[in-house]
Amino acid sequence: MPVSLDFIGGVIGFAFTIMILSYLIGDNPLYRIASYTFVGVSAGYIATIAYWHVLLPKLILPFISGGSSERLLLGVPLLFSTLVLMKISPRLTRLASPAMAYLVGVGTALAIGGALSGTLVPQFFSLINAFDADIATARNANFLEELVEGGIILAGAISTLVYFHYGAKKHSEDGAVKRMGLIELLAWVGSIFIAITLGVIFAGVFSAAVTALIERVHVVLLFIFSLIGPV
Amino acid sequence: MRALAVLIAVSVGLVTLAGYFLPVQVPFLNLILSWALIMAGTATFIGVFNLISMHGLKITRREKGSGYSVFLILAVFSTFALGLSSSPTGVPLTFLFNAIILPTQTSLMAVLAITLLYSAIRLLRYRPTMMSIVFLISVIVILLGYVTLPFGDVPIISTWIRPWVMQVLAVGGARGLLLGIALGTLVTGLRVLFAVDRPYGGGNK
Repeated sequence: MPVSLDFIGGVIGFAFTIMILSYLIGDNPLYRIASYTFVGVSAGYIATIAYWHVLLPKLILPFISGGSSERLLLGVPLLFSTLVLMKISPRLTRLASPAMAYLVGVGTALAIGGALSGTLVPQFFSLINAFDADIATARNANFLEELVEGGIILAGAISTLVYFHYGAKKHSEDGAVKRMGLIELLAWVGSIFIAITLGVIFAGVFSAAVTALIERVHVVLLFIFSLIGPV
Repeated sequence: MRALAVLIAVSVGLVTLAGYFLPVQVPFLNLILSWALIMAGTATFIGVFNLISMHGLKITRREKGSGYSVFLILAVFSTFALGLSSSPTGVPLTFLFNAIILPTQTSLMAVLAITLLYSAIRLLRYRPTMMSIVFLISVIVILLGYVTLPFGDVPIISTWIRPWVMQVLAVGGARGLLLGIALGTLVTGLRVLFAVDRPYGGGNK
Protein backbone atom coordinates (compact mmCIF):
# COMPACT_ATOMS: atom_id res chain seq x y z
CA MET A 1 0.00 0.00 0.00
CA PRO A 2 1.58 3.36 -0.98
CA VAL A 3 2.07 5.72 1.96
CA SER A 4 0.96 9.28 1.25
CA LEU A 5 2.95 12.38 2.21
CA ASP A 6 -0.02 13.53 4.33
CA PHE A 7 0.18 10.32 6.36
CA ILE A 8 3.93 10.72 6.94
CA GLY A 9 3.33 14.35 7.94
CA GLY A 10 0.58 13.19 10.31
CA VAL A 11 2.89 10.61 11.93
CA ILE A 12 5.68 13.19 12.39
CA GLY A 13 3.21 15.79 13.71
CA PHE A 14 1.74 13.20 16.13
CA ALA A 15 5.23 12.24 17.33
CA PHE A 16 6.24 15.87 17.88
CA THR A 17 2.97 16.57 19.73
CA ILE A 18 3.53 13.65 22.11
CA MET A 19 7.20 14.60 22.60
CA ILE A 20 6.32 18.21 23.49
CA LEU A 21 3.36 17.25 25.70
CA SER A 22 5.66 14.80 27.56
CA TYR A 23 7.07 17.93 29.25
CA LEU A 24 3.97 17.84 31.47
CA ILE A 25 5.49 14.86 33.34
CA GLY A 26 8.83 16.68 33.59
CA ASP A 27 11.83 17.71 31.49
CA ASN A 28 12.95 14.67 29.47
CA PRO A 29 15.13 13.77 26.43
CA LEU A 30 12.11 13.41 24.10
CA TYR A 31 11.01 16.97 24.87
CA ARG A 32 14.57 18.22 24.39
CA ILE A 33 14.94 16.48 21.00
CA ALA A 34 11.62 17.92 19.80
CA SER A 35 12.39 21.46 21.00
CA TYR A 36 15.95 21.49 19.57
CA THR A 37 14.70 20.14 16.23
CA PHE A 38 11.93 22.75 16.25
CA VAL A 39 14.45 25.56 16.79
CA GLY A 40 16.64 24.18 13.99
CA VAL A 41 13.78 23.81 11.52
CA SER A 42 12.48 27.31 12.40
CA ALA A 43 15.95 28.86 11.92
CA GLY A 44 16.36 27.10 8.56
CA TYR A 45 12.85 28.16 7.56
CA ILE A 46 13.53 31.82 8.46
CA ALA A 47 16.82 31.76 6.50
CA THR A 48 14.99 30.29 3.49
CA ILE A 49 12.28 32.97 3.67
CA ALA A 50 14.96 35.69 3.96
CA TYR A 51 16.69 34.30 0.86
CA TRP A 52 13.57 33.81 -1.32
CA HIS A 53 11.58 36.89 -0.25
CA VAL A 54 14.31 39.46 0.44
CA LEU A 55 17.79 38.75 -0.86
CA LEU A 56 16.88 37.09 -4.17
CA PRO A 57 14.19 39.52 -5.44
CA LYS A 58 15.59 42.73 -3.90
CA LEU A 59 19.35 42.27 -4.24
CA ILE A 60 20.58 39.30 -6.30
CA LEU A 61 18.18 39.33 -9.28
CA PRO A 62 18.16 43.15 -9.75
CA PHE A 63 21.95 43.14 -9.51
CA ILE A 64 22.26 40.44 -12.18
CA SER A 65 19.58 41.63 -14.61
CA GLY A 66 19.04 45.31 -13.67
CA GLY A 67 20.26 48.44 -15.49
CA SER A 68 23.39 50.36 -14.57
CA SER A 69 21.53 52.95 -12.43
CA GLU A 70 19.76 50.17 -10.53
CA ARG A 71 23.08 48.41 -9.95
CA LEU A 72 24.62 51.66 -8.74
CA LEU A 73 21.79 52.16 -6.24
CA LEU A 74 22.14 48.56 -5.07
CA GLY A 75 25.83 49.18 -4.41
CA VAL A 76 24.97 50.75 -1.02
CA PRO A 77 22.97 47.81 0.42
CA LEU A 78 25.47 45.38 -1.13
CA LEU A 79 28.38 47.14 0.58
CA PHE A 80 26.50 47.38 3.89
CA SER A 81 25.36 43.74 3.65
CA THR A 82 28.98 42.73 3.16
CA LEU A 83 29.88 44.80 6.22
CA VAL A 84 27.10 43.07 8.20
CA LEU A 85 28.72 39.74 7.29
CA MET A 86 31.90 40.94 9.06
CA LYS A 87 30.02 40.21 12.31
CA ILE A 88 30.91 36.56 11.73
CA SER A 89 34.55 37.18 12.63
CA PRO A 90 35.32 38.64 16.10
CA ARG A 91 38.41 40.38 14.63
CA LEU A 92 36.46 42.08 11.83
CA THR A 93 33.31 42.82 13.82
CA ARG A 94 34.25 46.52 14.18
CA LEU A 95 33.89 46.93 10.41
CA ALA A 96 30.19 46.06 10.76
CA SER A 97 29.43 49.10 12.94
CA PRO A 98 28.45 51.46 10.03
CA ALA A 99 25.95 48.87 8.75
CA MET A 100 24.62 48.25 12.26
CA ALA A 101 24.39 52.04 12.73
CA TYR A 102 22.27 52.24 9.57
CA LEU A 103 19.92 49.53 10.89
CA VAL A 104 19.74 51.14 14.33
CA GLY A 105 19.07 54.58 12.81
CA VAL A 106 16.20 53.29 10.65
CA GLY A 107 14.81 51.12 13.44
CA THR A 108 14.92 53.98 15.95
CA ALA A 109 13.18 56.40 13.60
CA LEU A 110 10.48 53.82 12.85
CA ALA A 111 10.03 53.16 16.58
CA ILE A 112 9.68 56.90 17.31
CA GLY A 113 7.23 57.39 14.42
CA GLY A 114 5.27 54.30 15.44
CA ALA A 115 5.12 55.35 19.10
CA LEU A 116 3.91 58.83 18.14
CA SER A 117 1.40 58.03 15.41
CA GLY A 118 0.42 54.54 16.59
CA THR A 119 0.18 54.93 20.35
CA LEU A 120 0.66 58.38 21.90
CA VAL A 121 -1.64 60.46 19.66
CA PRO A 122 -4.49 57.87 19.33
CA GLN A 123 -4.40 57.04 23.06
CA PHE A 124 -4.49 60.71 24.08
CA PHE A 125 -7.41 61.37 21.70
CA SER A 126 -9.26 58.32 23.06
CA LEU A 127 -8.80 59.67 26.60
CA ILE A 128 -10.03 63.14 25.60
CA ASN A 129 -12.97 61.96 23.43
CA ALA A 130 -14.66 60.33 26.44
CA PHE A 131 -15.37 63.83 27.75
CA ASP A 132 -16.85 65.14 24.47
CA ALA A 133 -20.65 65.47 24.67
CA ASP A 134 -20.99 65.72 20.87
CA ILE A 135 -19.28 62.37 20.31
CA ALA A 136 -21.49 60.74 22.96
CA THR A 137 -24.60 62.20 21.28
CA ALA A 138 -23.42 61.01 17.84
CA ARG A 139 -23.02 57.48 19.25
CA ASN A 140 -26.47 57.64 20.94
CA ALA A 141 -24.73 57.01 24.28
CA ASN A 142 -25.67 58.38 27.71
CA PHE A 143 -23.21 61.25 28.25
CA LEU A 144 -23.23 60.91 32.06
CA GLU A 145 -22.36 57.21 31.77
CA GLU A 146 -19.60 58.01 29.24
CA LEU A 147 -18.31 60.73 31.55
CA VAL A 148 -18.07 58.36 34.54
CA GLU A 149 -16.42 55.61 32.48
CA GLY A 150 -14.04 58.13 30.86
CA GLY A 151 -13.14 59.44 34.32
CA ILE A 152 -12.35 55.94 35.59
CA ILE A 153 -10.23 55.20 32.47
CA LEU A 154 -8.39 58.53 32.89
CA ALA A 155 -7.78 57.78 36.58
CA GLY A 156 -6.52 54.31 35.61
CA ALA A 157 -4.16 55.69 32.95
CA ILE A 158 -2.72 58.40 35.22
CA SER A 159 -2.35 56.17 38.28
CA THR A 160 -0.72 53.43 36.16
CA LEU A 161 1.83 55.96 34.88
CA VAL A 162 2.40 57.20 38.45
CA TYR A 163 3.04 53.58 39.58
CA PHE A 164 6.23 53.64 37.47
CA HIS A 165 7.41 56.96 38.94
CA TYR A 166 10.45 56.19 41.05
CA GLY A 167 11.52 59.70 42.03
CA ALA A 168 11.82 59.93 45.82
CA LYS A 169 13.26 62.15 48.53
CA LYS A 170 15.25 61.14 51.57
CA HIS A 171 13.40 61.87 54.80
CA SER A 172 15.56 63.75 57.24
CA GLU A 173 14.07 62.07 60.34
CA ASP A 174 14.93 58.41 59.72
CA GLY A 175 17.00 58.67 56.51
CA ALA A 176 14.57 56.39 54.65
CA VAL A 177 13.89 57.10 50.96
CA LYS A 178 10.16 57.50 50.36
CA ARG A 179 7.87 58.81 47.65
CA MET A 180 5.47 61.68 48.38
CA GLY A 181 2.23 60.67 50.11
CA LEU A 182 0.03 61.57 47.11
CA ILE A 183 2.35 59.74 44.69
CA GLU A 184 2.30 56.69 46.97
CA LEU A 185 -1.53 56.72 47.08
CA LEU A 186 -1.84 57.11 43.29
CA ALA A 187 0.74 54.34 42.78
CA TRP A 188 -1.35 52.03 44.99
CA VAL A 189 -4.45 52.79 42.87
CA GLY A 190 -2.30 52.23 39.77
CA SER A 191 -1.19 48.82 41.07
CA ILE A 192 -4.87 47.77 41.28
CA PHE A 193 -5.48 48.87 37.67
CA ILE A 194 -2.30 47.10 36.50
CA ALA A 195 -3.31 43.92 38.34
CA ILE A 196 -6.76 43.98 36.66
CA THR A 197 -5.24 44.66 33.21
CA LEU A 198 -2.66 41.89 33.57
CA GLY A 199 -5.43 39.59 34.84
CA VAL A 200 -7.49 40.25 31.70
CA ILE A 201 -4.42 39.62 29.48
CA PHE A 202 -3.64 36.45 31.46
CA ALA A 203 -7.21 35.21 31.01
CA GLY A 204 -7.00 35.84 27.25
CA VAL A 205 -3.68 33.99 26.92
CA PHE A 206 -4.96 31.16 29.11
CA SER A 207 -8.12 30.81 26.97
CA ALA A 208 -5.97 30.64 23.80
CA ALA A 209 -3.65 28.09 25.41
CA VAL A 210 -6.59 25.90 26.53
CA THR A 211 -7.99 26.08 22.98
CA ALA A 212 -4.59 24.90 21.66
CA LEU A 213 -4.56 22.07 24.23
CA ILE A 214 -8.04 20.94 23.17
CA GLU A 215 -7.01 21.11 19.48
CA ARG A 216 -3.88 19.01 20.11
CA VAL A 217 -5.77 16.38 22.14
CA HIS A 218 -8.38 16.28 19.36
CA VAL A 219 -5.66 15.80 16.69
CA VAL A 220 -3.97 13.03 18.71
CA LEU A 221 -7.26 11.18 19.26
CA LEU A 222 -8.23 11.57 15.58
CA PHE A 223 -4.86 10.15 14.52
CA ILE A 224 -5.16 7.16 16.89
CA PHE A 225 -8.73 6.47 15.71
CA SER A 226 -7.62 6.73 12.06
CA LEU A 227 -5.02 4.01 12.76
CA ILE A 228 -7.23 1.60 14.70
CA GLY A 229 -10.37 2.36 12.72
CA PRO A 230 -13.80 3.48 13.98
CA VAL A 231 -14.66 2.13 17.45
CA MET B 1 34.93 54.32 12.19
CA ARG B 2 33.07 55.48 15.33
CA ALA B 3 32.39 58.96 13.94
CA LEU B 4 31.21 57.45 10.65
CA ALA B 5 28.84 55.08 12.49
CA VAL B 6 27.38 57.97 14.53
CA LEU B 7 27.00 60.11 11.39
CA ILE B 8 25.21 57.30 9.53
CA ALA B 9 22.87 56.48 12.44
CA VAL B 10 21.90 60.12 13.06
CA SER B 11 21.48 61.14 9.42
CA VAL B 12 19.59 58.00 8.36
CA GLY B 13 17.42 58.21 11.48
CA LEU B 14 16.53 61.87 10.94
CA VAL B 15 15.76 61.35 7.23
CA THR B 16 13.55 58.34 8.05
CA LEU B 17 11.76 60.29 10.76
CA ALA B 18 11.24 63.22 8.37
CA GLY B 19 9.52 60.77 6.00
CA TYR B 20 6.70 60.47 8.55
CA PHE B 21 5.92 64.18 8.45
CA LEU B 22 7.07 65.43 5.01
CA PRO B 23 5.33 63.82 2.00
CA VAL B 24 8.24 64.97 -0.22
CA GLN B 25 10.52 62.58 1.65
CA VAL B 26 8.37 59.47 1.02
CA PRO B 27 10.24 58.13 -2.09
CA PHE B 28 13.55 58.63 -0.27
CA LEU B 29 12.08 56.93 2.82
CA ASN B 30 11.02 53.93 0.69
CA LEU B 31 14.54 53.61 -0.72
CA ILE B 32 16.08 53.76 2.76
CA LEU B 33 13.61 51.15 4.03
CA SER B 34 14.26 48.79 1.10
CA TRP B 35 18.02 49.01 1.77
CA ALA B 36 17.39 48.35 5.47
CA LEU B 37 15.27 45.32 4.54
CA ILE B 38 18.14 43.86 2.48
CA MET B 39 20.55 44.40 5.37
CA ALA B 40 18.09 42.87 7.84
CA GLY B 41 17.82 39.85 5.50
CA THR B 42 21.61 39.48 5.57
CA ALA B 43 21.61 39.93 9.37
CA THR B 44 19.18 36.98 9.58
CA PHE B 45 21.93 34.78 8.14
CA ILE B 46 24.35 36.11 10.77
CA GLY B 47 21.84 35.06 13.44
CA VAL B 48 21.48 31.58 11.99
CA PHE B 49 25.27 31.29 11.59
CA ASN B 50 25.70 32.30 15.25
CA LEU B 51 23.17 29.64 16.32
CA ILE B 52 25.03 26.97 14.31
CA SER B 53 28.48 28.03 15.57
CA MET B 54 27.34 28.05 19.23
CA HIS B 55 25.89 24.56 18.97
CA GLY B 56 28.85 23.37 16.86
CA LEU B 57 31.13 24.53 19.65
CA LYS B 58 29.02 22.61 22.18
CA ILE B 59 29.42 19.45 20.09
CA THR B 60 33.19 19.81 19.60
CA ARG B 61 33.68 20.47 23.33
CA ARG B 62 31.41 17.48 24.12
CA GLU B 63 29.48 19.59 26.60
CA LYS B 64 26.50 18.22 28.54
CA GLY B 65 23.46 17.96 26.25
CA SER B 66 25.53 18.38 23.08
CA GLY B 67 23.72 15.40 21.55
CA TYR B 68 20.61 17.57 21.22
CA SER B 69 22.68 20.17 19.34
CA VAL B 70 23.28 17.57 16.61
CA PHE B 71 19.51 17.46 16.02
CA LEU B 72 19.42 21.26 15.83
CA ILE B 73 22.27 21.57 13.31
CA LEU B 74 20.91 18.74 11.15
CA ALA B 75 17.48 20.40 11.20
CA VAL B 76 18.89 23.81 10.18
CA PHE B 77 20.91 22.44 7.25
CA SER B 78 18.26 20.04 5.97
CA THR B 79 15.51 22.70 6.15
CA PHE B 80 17.67 25.28 4.38
CA ALA B 81 18.73 22.78 1.72
CA LEU B 82 15.12 21.73 1.11
CA GLY B 83 14.06 25.37 1.03
CA LEU B 84 16.70 26.31 -1.52
CA SER B 85 15.90 23.31 -3.69
CA SER B 86 12.28 24.41 -4.17
CA SER B 87 10.60 27.59 -2.87
CA PRO B 88 8.85 28.70 0.34
CA THR B 89 5.52 27.55 -1.11
CA GLY B 90 7.00 24.32 -2.51
CA VAL B 91 6.11 20.84 -1.24
CA PRO B 92 9.24 20.21 0.94
CA LEU B 93 9.00 23.39 2.99
CA THR B 94 5.19 23.22 3.28
CA PHE B 95 5.60 19.62 4.47
CA LEU B 96 8.16 20.63 7.11
CA PHE B 97 5.94 23.51 8.24
CA ASN B 98 2.84 21.32 8.59
CA ALA B 99 4.66 18.31 10.05
CA ILE B 100 7.02 19.98 12.53
CA ILE B 101 6.61 23.74 13.01
CA LEU B 102 2.80 23.90 13.31
CA PRO B 103 2.29 20.87 15.64
CA THR B 104 5.24 21.89 17.84
CA GLN B 105 4.09 25.50 18.17
CA THR B 106 0.53 24.44 19.02
CA SER B 107 1.79 21.81 21.48
CA LEU B 108 4.02 24.40 23.20
CA MET B 109 0.94 26.63 23.49
CA ALA B 110 -0.95 23.66 24.98
CA VAL B 111 1.83 23.12 27.54
CA LEU B 112 1.53 26.83 28.35
CA ALA B 113 -2.08 26.25 29.53
CA ILE B 114 -0.93 23.87 32.25
CA THR B 115 2.09 26.04 33.13
CA LEU B 116 -0.09 29.15 33.50
CA LEU B 117 -2.57 27.31 35.70
CA TYR B 118 0.24 25.97 37.88
CA SER B 119 1.90 29.40 38.19
CA ALA B 120 -1.42 31.06 39.11
CA ILE B 121 -1.87 28.56 41.96
CA ARG B 122 1.73 29.11 43.09
CA LEU B 123 1.21 32.89 43.00
CA LEU B 124 -1.64 32.70 45.50
CA ARG B 125 0.30 30.26 47.68
CA TYR B 126 3.65 32.04 47.86
CA ARG B 127 2.80 35.73 47.28
CA PRO B 128 -0.68 36.51 48.62
CA THR B 129 -0.37 40.32 48.22
CA MET B 130 -3.19 42.73 47.39
CA MET B 131 -1.95 42.98 43.77
CA SER B 132 -1.85 39.21 43.21
CA ILE B 133 -5.28 38.72 44.82
CA VAL B 134 -6.83 41.41 42.56
CA PHE B 135 -5.00 39.83 39.59
CA LEU B 136 -6.42 36.37 40.29
CA ILE B 137 -9.94 37.70 40.98
CA SER B 138 -9.94 39.49 37.62
CA VAL B 139 -8.67 36.29 35.90
CA ILE B 140 -11.49 34.26 37.48
CA VAL B 141 -14.12 36.90 36.62
CA ILE B 142 -13.01 37.08 32.98
CA LEU B 143 -12.83 33.29 32.59
CA LEU B 144 -16.24 32.82 34.25
CA GLY B 145 -17.63 35.48 31.95
CA TYR B 146 -16.22 33.76 28.87
CA VAL B 147 -17.06 30.16 29.67
CA THR B 148 -20.24 28.54 28.42
CA LEU B 149 -21.57 26.20 31.08
CA PRO B 150 -24.22 23.48 30.51
CA PHE B 151 -26.90 25.77 31.97
CA GLY B 152 -25.71 28.74 29.86
CA ASP B 153 -23.82 31.91 30.75
CA VAL B 154 -23.07 32.82 34.35
CA PRO B 155 -25.63 35.54 35.22
CA ILE B 156 -24.40 39.06 36.11
CA ILE B 157 -20.73 38.08 35.59
CA SER B 158 -21.16 37.38 31.84
CA THR B 159 -23.60 40.16 31.15
CA TRP B 160 -22.42 43.00 33.37
CA ILE B 161 -19.20 42.53 35.39
CA ARG B 162 -16.94 41.01 32.67
CA PRO B 163 -17.76 43.61 29.98
CA TRP B 164 -17.35 46.44 32.49
CA VAL B 165 -14.03 45.12 33.80
CA MET B 166 -12.73 44.60 30.24
CA GLN B 167 -14.02 47.85 28.73
CA VAL B 168 -13.39 50.25 31.60
CA LEU B 169 -10.99 49.05 34.33
CA ALA B 170 -8.65 47.05 32.05
CA VAL B 171 -8.70 49.80 29.42
CA GLY B 172 -7.57 52.35 32.03
CA GLY B 173 -4.60 50.20 33.07
CA ALA B 174 -3.76 49.18 29.49
CA ARG B 175 -3.86 52.80 28.33
CA GLY B 176 -1.47 53.78 31.11
CA LEU B 177 0.88 50.91 30.25
CA LEU B 178 0.75 51.73 26.51
CA LEU B 179 1.41 55.42 27.14
CA GLY B 180 4.32 54.51 29.42
CA ILE B 181 5.82 52.16 26.81
CA ALA B 182 5.36 54.76 24.04
CA LEU B 183 6.94 57.52 26.15
CA GLY B 184 9.84 55.18 27.00
CA THR B 185 10.29 54.31 23.31
CA LEU B 186 10.23 58.00 22.39
CA VAL B 187 12.85 58.98 24.95
CA THR B 188 15.13 56.02 24.17
CA GLY B 189 14.79 56.66 20.43
CA LEU B 190 15.62 60.34 20.79
CA ARG B 191 18.69 59.44 22.87
CA VAL B 192 19.88 57.20 20.01
CA LEU B 193 19.06 59.81 17.35
CA PHE B 194 20.99 62.48 19.24
CA ALA B 195 23.91 60.02 19.68
CA VAL B 196 23.66 60.03 23.49
CA ASP B 197 23.28 56.22 23.36
CA ARG B 198 25.19 54.31 20.65
CA PRO B 199 24.07 50.68 20.64
CA TYR B 200 25.75 50.02 17.25
CA GLY B 201 29.30 49.91 18.61
CA GLY B 202 30.04 53.60 18.32
CA GLY B 203 31.33 53.78 21.89
CA ASN B 204 28.49 53.96 24.41
CA LYS B 205 28.50 56.83 26.83
